[in-house]
Amino acid sequence: MEISAIRIEALKEIGNIGAGHAATSLSKMLQTRIEMTVPKVWLVPLPRLPEALGQLEATKVALYLKVEGEAPGKAMFVLSVKSAQLITKTLLWKSELPDIINDQMAQSALREVGNILVSSFVIALSEFSRIRLQPSIPALGIDMIGAMIDAVLLDEGKLDDNILIIDTKLSGLEEMEGMFLYIPGEGSIDKLLGVFGI
Amino acid sequence: MNKTIVVGMADYKVGKPPAKLMTAGLGSCIGVCIYDLQAQIGGMAHIMLPSSKESMKGNPAKYADTCIEMMLEELLNLGVLRSRLKAKMAGGAQMFSFAGKTPLLRIGERNAEAVAQELKKVGISLLASDVGGTFGRTINFDIKTGNLHIRTINHGEKVI
Repeated sequence: MEISAIRIEALKEIGNIGAGHAATSLSKMLQTRIEMTVPKVWLVPLPRLPEALGQLEATKVALYLKVEGEAPGKAMFVLSVKSAQLITKTLLWKSELPDIINDQMAQSALREVGNILVSSFVIALSEFSRIRLQPSIPALGIDMIGAMIDAVLLDEGKLDDNILIIDTKLSGLEEMEGMFLYIPGEGSIDKLLGVFGI
Repeated sequence: MNKTIVVGMADYKVGKPPAKLMTAGLGSCIGVCIYDLQAQIGGMAHIMLPSSKESMKGNPAKYADTCIEMMLEELLNLGVLRSRLKAKMAGGAQMFSFAGKTPLLRIGERNAEAVAQELKKVGISLLASDVGGTFGRTINFDIKTGNLHIRTINHGEKVI
């Protein structure tokens, strides 16, 4: 897979629009200011994935949703454990940081965050591309980031040598920092970029 | 000198002591070690998919069948004795489940089956394995002793 410079720019714009909507929803949900970085578009060979994602054995919280429709893809929101605790503490009006590994209520709140973030991203994408897209229900994982990423990549039982990732960082709530990843499926880029005529 | 050779996704590495082999964050992937204790030579592969036959595309090191073949050839070149080779593996988890849906592909499970089958085909006995579950694993292989150390986040550590 090769991607021209103009397509990379267009994908960044897609990331920008989608993640912008997602950040706005997160901000409303948490009643706080959310900062967002300019999206990065990575075309990463598999063995170099750690360079894009950091330590593969680091413990992270991940929300994973499949995006189904004419241009399918996968969305992931990856947080540090502390960030996930901060979000759930705020959402559930708790006085202390919840134990997200055992607290069902906190896990349910996190799923809802995933739901809302990805839905806003997908709605934005659908609106400008006129392509019908539908997010799945969210799955939650608290484990090594590498293990969760490989499971997401292999979900369809096939895998390209290079992975295209649109990566946007969202931050707020003092120390909350999350990574919003969108991985377009095979052939989806052509469809999404079709609206730009490129 | 305690050198650790890191094996990336869809990759394999071979080495000799004191070097150790390690791969981090195995989800549905399989980490398989093939070694000759007497010759003190070993290799580790990070396999992602069961078979190259279904969709042979790109890097052959990502499939169980082609990767094991490649690593075996490299080990033989280094001077292992084929009849002395042993294997151990870990990984093959089902990391995510969507409420109310059974996973259709069970890639982790199929990966584990494919590796076991391929080892059988090339006549290498699988001494130990730690596969399945719903959690990630980071593995370290000591070529000197043949011990495979497995670390998880909430499911303890073990040596097989």
